[in-house]
Amino acid sequence: MQRELPVIKVDGVTELEHAVVEGVDISGHWNRMFTQRSITEYPTEAMDWITGLEGGESLRNCYQCGKCVPVCPVNHVGDYGPRKLNAKVIRGNRLIDDPDLWLCTTCGNCYRVCPKEVNPIQFMPAIREQAVLEGNIPDELSDVFRNLQRTGNPMGESPRKRADWIAGAGVEIPVISQLDRPVDVLWYVSDYTSYHPRGQDAARAMARVLTALGVDFAILGPEERSDGDSARLAGETGLFELLAEQNIKAFSRYEFKRLVVMDPHAYNAFRNRYPALGWEGEVLHYTQFLAPLVDGMRFLSRVELDVTYHDPCYLGRNNGEYDAPRRLLEAIPGIRLAEMPHNRANGYCCGGGGGGMWLDGTVAGHVSERLSERRVREAVATVGTDGTGVLSVACPYEPSRFEDAVKSTGNDGRLVVRDIIELLDQAMQPPAA
Amino acid sequence: MPETVLVIGGGPAGLEAARSVAAIGGRAILVERRGVLGGTPDESSYAALTPRMGSAQDALDELRAGVADPAIDVRLETLVTGCSGSVGDFSVSLSGPGGESSERVGAIVVATGFQHFDPGRETQMYGYYEYPDVITLPDAEKMLKEHTFVRPSTGEPPRNVAFIQCVGSRDRRIGNEYCSKVCCGVASKEAIEIRRLLPDTKVYIFYIDMRMYGYWENEIYWPAQEQYNVTYIRGIVTEIVGKDGRLLMKGEDTTMGRPLEVLMDVIVLSVGMEPSRGTRDVAGILGVDQNKYGFIATPGEPMDPVSTSVPGIFVAGAAAGPKDLEDTIGMAGSAAIRAVAAVRGQAPAQPAAAR
Repeated sequence: MQRELPVIKVDGVTELEHAVVEGVDISGHWNRMFTQRSITEYPTEAMDWITGLEGGESLRNCYQCGKCVPVCPVNHVGDYGPRKLNAKVIRGNRLIDDPDLWLCTTCGNCYRVCPKEVNPIQFMPAIREQAVLEGNIPDELSDVFRNLQRTGNPMGESPRKRADWIAGAGVEIPVISQLDRPVDVLWYVSDYTSYHPRGQDAARAMARVLTALGVDFAILGPEERSDGDSARLAGETGLFELLAEQNIKAFSRYEFKRLVVMDPHAYNAFRNRYPALGWEGEVLHYTQFLAPLVDGMRFLSRVELDVTYHDPCYLGRNNGEYDAPRRLLEAIPGIRLAEMPHNRANGYCCGGGGGGMWLDGTVAGHVSERLSERRVREAVATVGTDGTGVLSVACPYEPSRFEDAVKSTGNDGRLVVRDIIELLDQAMQPPAA
Repeated sequence: MPETVLVIGGGPAGLEAARSVAAIGGRAILVERRGVLGGTPDESSYAALTPRMGSAQDALDELRAGVADPAIDVRLETLVTGCSGSVGDFSVSLSGPGGESSERVGAIVVATGFQHFDPGRETQMYGYYEYPDVITLPDAEKMLKEHTFVRPSTGEPPRNVAFIQCVGSRDRRIGNEYCSKVCCGVASKEAIEIRRLLPDTKVYIFYIDMRMYGYWENEIYWPAQEQYNVTYIRGIVTEIVGKDGRLLMKGEDTTMGRPLEVLMDVIVLSVGMEPSRGTRDVAGILGVDQNKYGFIATPGEPMDPVSTSVPGIFVAGAAAGPKDLEDTIGMAGSAAIRAVAAVRGQAPAQPAAAR
């Protein structure tokens, strides 16, 4: 049965009888061109609608200078650019059905340079929330939302297994519900660190380092839920609040001096979002907690590696911490630290933030390569491919993203990805025989 | 009642204000921090003036000649250190080469001007302090005054020169939300001067909006484009990196919606205006209100651009915000008339907006 095709009304059609492009004969309908149609109206409703949303206000402020576009990581691999959103909305596009809605990782580099302070970290979640309410979101994302709702983690793993990684750590890891006393540090392990095999490596390394330093710590274990921040940035505000409520309930059951987190997204949530929801306390990213302790670390091995460091957007640019991770790396004997061209405030996003972690399929259709692949190329250009090069990270989203990218860019065996905590742990162990 | 007007600042605004006070029969004390008169156009070695390309030094000489008048007491290397009293009878302390002195004046004209934006404060990555060939409008002005334009790194003439507009202006992030008003014109003027000196050099201006109001449109912008073949690109640069001894500008061509990566030999940052240190200091000493950017507030605008928050104290020129020379000279005359009228107890009624 022949499908009924939509009829496109155009002013005119051009078709060359004989057309040859780069030696290929494309005579016939292959070269058919439509005359451009004039724009006949500039409907203002879309802009009014978006700026009427809480968080959507700043989209109107854009004066089309374009400073955002060259610093946007997605622009480096595609056609997307923050200023173009304003241009589209001015022409009546609500972005709800536009793939652009899902390309932004909320990395914040455009906001850093924006003279008008147009802020996608606010307006993207606001518009996405409307897409969520309309049930108009990519399937891969709704699967993750469902998992978070049901199990408290994006993979849909059992919450009871959240602390199963403990087994291989080689040190005792107290679960706070089994201690009958306050602790100094409540260590919030986070999702990928708890469940993903490469994340678990980092968790075990962290446990060994904390133990070696004599830190009085405990974890929440099965009571821990996802911090929810990336779900919020992907538009699921309600889910974020539900998860936050569960975590806050768990936090308030126990006494601890400070919260130490592995995940910059959790750091962002606890530091900047949970106070409005009823929990306030000292929260540190693990690099911030450990950096002041370097003088007390006993390093037993030299780590003779060329290391570069990838600033996570939600630790660096969006929360201002650039130095603590570098202080840790510089303290490790043997490490030669080299910076990639995009570093610190201008760090290049891995593509995992703002829901990007769960949108790879959707994004793939609109980019020439993944952001993580582009970043891996930058790392390779910085630390070489002779096997001593390390891309070090401080966010649990990154080992899996970057390790995939190392493979897909053909750099398997030439560059390794390590969480800083793994490098610290390695240096604090006796040299391998 | 002292009949004297104190004019603070010996740049174009102060020179013209003092000259005008004397021209209508008043007396003026003109104080200037530096040892010479002429203000920023002199201190920053301006070459030609926008829009008519006349020599800045000739124009300044004319202004300086205007204060060679027995009714004007010029005090160089002198600072205002204190002020009390009110309209008609201010008592001001001055500190100069001869030591401290106290003067009674009936009115005051503040003409303390602006300073160029420090490109170290911009939020892009232009590397002004990193690359010698990244310069500012006043840096270029200094070379053009000597009738030369070279790459500072090599001393050779550049093949490609780019201007980047709106550096330190129109930017909420930096805190300077205003347009600095003159940079589009000054950049275009310098572009013309470069093209005159170096006909084989390509000159580009990268802009967000060209803001060439009034006659600057036809007197500067169009000639630059039509006669001097200056290329205007609507696009923005966010990063400059060194490459093979040249400068690679990265940004977006916003008309084409495409990334740009272009090699240049010299990049001129079109830095805007900020209140000068003198403007900030004097505002504090006199107790006049400043606006949120630190310029002296003129609450009576638009009908009264020269009255400050304190009766008897007036402002002229870029101490009150970004001004071109036309604005500055006009304000100076107006401030002089208002000051002399205040001294004589004939202050015109303030417009409604000022009350």
